[in-house]
Order: sequence, then C-alpha cells, then structure tokens
Amino acid sequence: MIFRRSLTQLGGRVMAMARDVGGVFVLTMEVLRALIPPRLDGRETVRNLYKMGNRSVPIVVLTALFVGGLMVIQFAAFVKQFGARALVGWGTGYAVFREVGPILIGLMFSGRVGANNTAELATMTVTEQVDGLQALAIDPIRYLVVPRVVAMMIMLVALTVIGDAVALIGTMIMSYVVLDIHPYTVWYSLVDNLGPSDFLHGISKSLVFGAAIALSSCYFGLTVRGGAVGVGRAVNAAVVGAAVSICFLDFLMTYLTA
Amino acid sequence: MIARRPLTAIGRRALDGVDAALELGRVAVGTIVGALISYWRGPRRRGEIARQMYFIGNRSLLFVAVTLGFIGMVMVYQTCLLTTQVVDGRGQVGAQFARLLVLDVGPSLTAMMLATRVGAGIAAEIGSMKVTEQIDALRMSGVTPVDYLVVPRFLASVIMTVVLTMFGMAVAWGAGGLTGYYSFQINPRTFFDLSMVAPAHVWLGMTKAAAYGAAIPIVAGFCGLRAKGSSEGVGAATTAAVIGSSFAVLIIDFTISAIGLIIWGAGL
Amino acid sequence: MTARDGQAAVELEGVGKAFGGRRVLAGVSLTVPPGGRLGIIGPAAGGKSVLLKLIAGLQRPDAGAIRVLGHDLVAAREPELAALRKRIGMLFQNYALFDFLSVADNVAFPLLHAGVAADEIDARVAARLRAVGLAGSESKMPAELSGGMKKRVGIARATVARAELVLYDEPTAGLDPVTTSKIYDLLRADQAETGSTAVVVSSDVAAVAAFADTIAMLHDGRIRWVGAAAGLFDADDLVVRSFARGEERDGAAVLSRSVEAARPAPGAWP
Repeated sequence: MIFRRSLTQLGGRVMAMARDVGGVFVLTMEVLRALIPPRLDGRETVRNLYKMGNRSVPIVVLTALFVGGLMVIQFAAFVKQFGARALVGWGTGYAVFREVGPILIGLMFSGRVGANNTAELATMTVTEQVDGLQALAIDPIRYLVVPRVVAMMIMLVALTVIGDAVALIGTMIMSYVVLDIHPYTVWYSLVDNLGPSDFLHGISKSLVFGAAIALSSCYFGLTVRGGAVGVGRAVNAAVVGAAVSICFLDFLMTYLTA
Repeated sequence: MIARRPLTAIGRRALDGVDAALELGRVAVGTIVGALISYWRGPRRRGEIARQMYFIGNRSLLFVAVTLGFIGMVMVYQTCLLTTQVVDGRGQVGAQFARLLVLDVGPSLTAMMLATRVGAGIAAEIGSMKVTEQIDALRMSGVTPVDYLVVPRFLASVIMTVVLTMFGMAVAWGAGGLTGYYSFQINPRTFFDLSMVAPAHVWLGMTKAAAYGAAIPIVAGFCGLRAKGSSEGVGAATTAAVIGSSFAVLIIDFTISAIGLIIWGAGL
Repeated sequence: MTARDGQAAVELEGVGKAFGGRRVLAGVSLTVPPGGRLGIIGPAAGGKSVLLKLIAGLQRPDAGAIRVLGHDLVAAREPELAALRKRIGMLFQNYALFDFLSVADNVAFPLLHAGVAADEIDARVAARLRAVGLAGSESKMPAELSGGMKKRVGIARATVARAELVLYDEPTAGLDPVTTSKIYDLLRADQAETGSTAVVVSSDVAAVAAFADTIAMLHDGRIRWVGAAAGLFDADDLVVRSFARGEERDGAAVLSRSVEAARPAPGAWP
C-alpha cells in the first residue's frame, strides 16, 4: 500500500518535472525567436543590469573571499604533508577558475537575483499585471523575459570575473596567514601553470549558468498560481531548478570542452 | 538639509540592521532553548517532528542525488585532468577524492542544496502564515510561534541534514567512481580507497553537517516571521532565506574548517 | 485577576501608533464596560484593525495606556500577554484559519493549548460547530470552504474557549445580507451565553449599529464620535452622520463642500 502510494507519488513528480523542463524549453525557444531580428529593449535591459548588479556585488565579493580562503584551508594539510608550497596558487586557482568559482557564484546569484526576479514576476502575475501588459498588446516575453535573460547572462559573467579576482585575494591572504606563503609565490604559481583556457572555461560556464538561472526564474515566476502561498512556492521551485541546471550543465560543459 | 537626508537614511538602515540582528538572535536563542527543553522533557510533538523529517527527506532526496551525483562526476573529471597533466597520478585520485568528500564537499554542497530547497520552503510556509495573520492567530492561543513552528523544523533539519549528507556523499562517491572507470580507466578497486579518510575527517564533516542543519531553519524561520505585506512580502522572505542560509553555510564552513586546521594541523 | 465589577473590560487612553513614519492612531481614548458591545466604524485603512490588534496585545502602542481585563498591556511582558491572550478571542479580517489543520482541529486549537482534557475538547468543538451551523464539516480543510463558512469557523474558534473578551475584525465583509444577519445572530447568542464583552470593527454601518449598544467612529486617527448606537444616524456631527447614512463616503469632502456652500457662488453679483 505504502509502496504503491510512493510509486504514484514518484510518477506524479516525474510528470511535474517533465512539464517544467518542457516549459523552460518552450520559453527558451520563445526567447530565441524574440531575438531573431536582434531587437532588445535597451532601457529595460540596462535597468535590470543596474538593479541586479547593485543587489549582488556585495554578496558575491563576500562569497568569493570566503571561498578563496576555504580553498587554502582544504589545501593546507596537503601542503604541510608534502611541502608542496609552490603548488598552492596552481591548485586553488585551477579549482576556483574552472569549478568552484562559477558554481558557488552561480548558486549565490541564483539565490539573490534569480529568486528576487521570480518573486517580482510572480507578484506581477498574481496581481494580474502581466495580463494587463498583454491587454496593452505588449509581448511579455519581449518586454519582461528577454531583457532579464540578457542582463543575467552579462551580469553573471561580470560577477565571475570579479569573484575570481577576489577569491585570488582571499587565497593570498589565507596562504600568508595559515601557511606563511608570500603572495608573490601564490601569484607566480598561478600564472606559470594556468592559461587563459582555464579562465575562459569557467567564464563560458558562467554565461550558460546565467541563461539557465534566468530562464528557470522567469518560467516559475510567470507560471505561478495561488496568491501569496504560490509566490513562495514559485521562488522555491525556481532556485531548485536553477541549482539542478547548474550541476547538470557544469558536468555537460566539463565533459564537452575537456 | 540635503546632506542630512542621506545621513538619516544611512542611520535608519543601520538601526534596521541592528534590529534585524537582535531579532535573529532572539529567534536563534528561542529555537535552541526550545529544542533543549523539548529534548529534556522528551519531545511532546514527536508526530510533528517526524512529519517535518518526512517533508525534508521527501522533498530533497532526488534533488540531492542529482546535484551531488553530477558534482562528484565533475570533481573526479577535473582532478584526473589535472593529475594526468604532469605525471600519471590517477592512482591517488580516488583516495584524495574520498578525503575531500568526507571533510568538506559532501557536507557543504549538500547543505548548499538544502539551503535552497529546505530553507526556501520553510520561509515560504512561515511567511505565508505571517501575511495571512495565522501567526497572530497562533499567538491568540498563547502559543509562541518560534516554539510551535521553528523548533520542530529545527530538530528535523539537524537529523535529516546529517542523513542526507551521508546519502549525498555516497551518491557522489559512486558517480565519481563510475566517471573514473569509464573516462580514465581507473580500476574501481583502486578508486574506492578509504585509506586517506581518518576518524577526524568524519567527525569534522559530520559536525559541519549538523551545524548547517541547525543554521538553515533558524535563518529561514527568522526570514519567514519577518514577512510583511502580501505576496511581495512572501517572495522577499523566501529570497532572503535562500541567500541568508546559503551564506550561513559558507561562514560555518569557513569557521569549522579553520578550527579543524588549528586543532589537527597537518594531520588533517 | 478577572475584571472586577465596575471596572472596564477595555480601557484606552491617548493611544498612538505609527508605522514607518505614518501615523495611524493619534491619541485614541475608549472605554468598554464588561458585557458591553462596542462597534467601531470609520473610513477604510483608518487604523481600525490596528486598534483591535493593540487591544489583543498582538502589537504594542507607541504612546498612551491600554488596560484589558485588568492588565496593563504597556507594562506587561510577553509571557503575561500570552496568558492574557488566552482569555481573549479574535476573529481576523481574512479568517486566518490554520491551513494545515482541519475545521475541527482549527476550532480545537485554543482549547488544546489551554490544557483542556481531550474528551471535553471533542464535546465543546462539536457543540460550537453545531452552533455556527457547520456540523458535518469537521474533517474539511479550510481551502475547501466558502468565505462565509470560513468566517463561521473563525467565529467558532474565537469563542470556543469562552473568552471574556471577543474582538471581531470585519465579521461580515464580503457576505450577502442574509448571511450577515445570521452572523450577527451568532454573535448575539454567544454573548447571551457567556456574558462576554464584544468589540466589532465593521464597514457595514447599519448591521453593526443594529448589533452594538455603543458606536465609536474612528476618523483621522482619533475617536471622532462615541454614543449610543441608536443615535448614530442623527448625530450632531455632520461627518459622522453623513458617513453613517452613506450619503458621502469621505467625511472630509463633506466638510469642504459645506464650507464652499456657505461662500457666495462664483458669478453671483452682490
């Protein structure tokens, strides 16, 4: 009995997931179609860029600083055991640029900007403002979704560049404090062993993550149902969808570009 | 006059910040004291705690499996790429991966995922109750909202975060082993090597998991109880809970890792 | 600790409350005797709900004194307030039913947290639900109910613990006239049974005036008028009279127009 119920539940969940994945896919197609003659609502895009940047820079800087420091702590035992002091910059840089930076900054960005965007769109939807736009013959995809997708892609790339730099500073500080390694050593270890390809590997991930976060957050914002309770649920679903997409796309891109 | 206006704005914001910090402290103390009391007396609402545990597990099992699975695969993939660059260090990848997984990646990334799933869920739920005056209705019956709503979620979250962390680590380990075998021809017997994992690593990792599990419902409950207005308020509370609990995970990770380094030093 | 004879059930003096710089209440003074029925009317968003929450001890005033059932709410600490609130029933404007509990569990909630024995809870909940005409809906969830049914569940929950003071926030908003009079019959029956004090906030002036013995009109953050309910429609105060009669929704507009009427019309030669 319990077995059957959980099986039904699992089936229902798989169906819901398929519906959401399909919905995000349809939204992606609509966004691409809206961009085919590349027309972009410039003012709306700039407004979104400003708002998103304003909102997320402090949290990203703090996150990156902690992450840079954390990498050193995790690396410290290894360094002390093998005396691999010259490897700190290389090892942490490799991990931060290619994986940890884009993933953690992406997750934080999704929690801050993506979630906020979902809440905003969901509120507009439940208060029938989106219907109001349509009544004025304004296409919500072109006016609401496209500028946000473009803005989030640009902003996440910019934040990853900033975050990489700040994480490097965090690494240097912690290396000096914990392992007594001079920042120069960290720096040369990094530039001697890592190339632009490592950096660009992470940046290209951020571009894709930005699109995924934006599409997930817009989709769940526009398909919300049921008042205040629905808005909370939509935000929850959007961040969960973004986190799954980030992990999946990260694997896909690592696999494809390696 | 013009110069004074930004100053008063900053002053008001600072006061709001202090106010929020005090309120967060109150929720945290209230939750922990409430949890201790209910432990002391034997929890009166066992059913509610079990229900919350079921919710957390039911909502996040698949989510944790998918995300941690992919992360395990990527970690092994990138490490193998790195180690094959200089000399062939593939034999060491499995053992190092297991150590890092137990020590940090397993607990921290599982908790990042639970911060978005469970944290946002708690804030959405309590936030909707706040804006529909259900919290006031609770108080009319002489019930303390923190005791009634946050404490059971807190106890359930501490237990379930530890359980889900073990589950997530197992999935990541398995997925990593498969990647090592199929993409880099690492023999599973070489890969699934626990020789680098010491009891101290397990202790540290599980302490982190329990601390994350404690922090997420406190932050999320605090955000939910502060919700104002209607649907915008619930949206804002949920957003704040996601970012707040994710950030709490990072800070706790940093702090406990640093303490571990001080205690065990190079032995870690 | 119960209200002594002759002592007011609710006593407000110079109560002020502001939210983020916006003054909602600016010196409200009111007295309700034990067993009294006070109706509070006034323009929308004029602070009526805030006033009820202050009386319930859910919010604290910025200024003034509040005494409820013999307790000083300004000086009281949270545990004392929590104990006092158990003696007060409240119907919220949007019902505020617990959406995770069934109808019966919603009504049982105040009893459960007042330490009443389980079998007595069942009996009292069943009696209360019969009284509000909801027998048979015990196991329904709030989401399955209509607005009028939710109101009745809310009333059952507010009165089930035999509260000494019951606060009703818009008990009949959005309901048709027949249901409205049924709801007020319920309030009257409950009061006759328990001898409780009732404070009703409502936009439905005629209905609340028929129920209450005293009416107070809240206007611009102050009590503009207090008097016997029967005298409301013939009040001396033009703003109060026209608001009560529904001749002009906005009292201020009435005032300014009456001033204008006294002036000579433009174009009229002296």
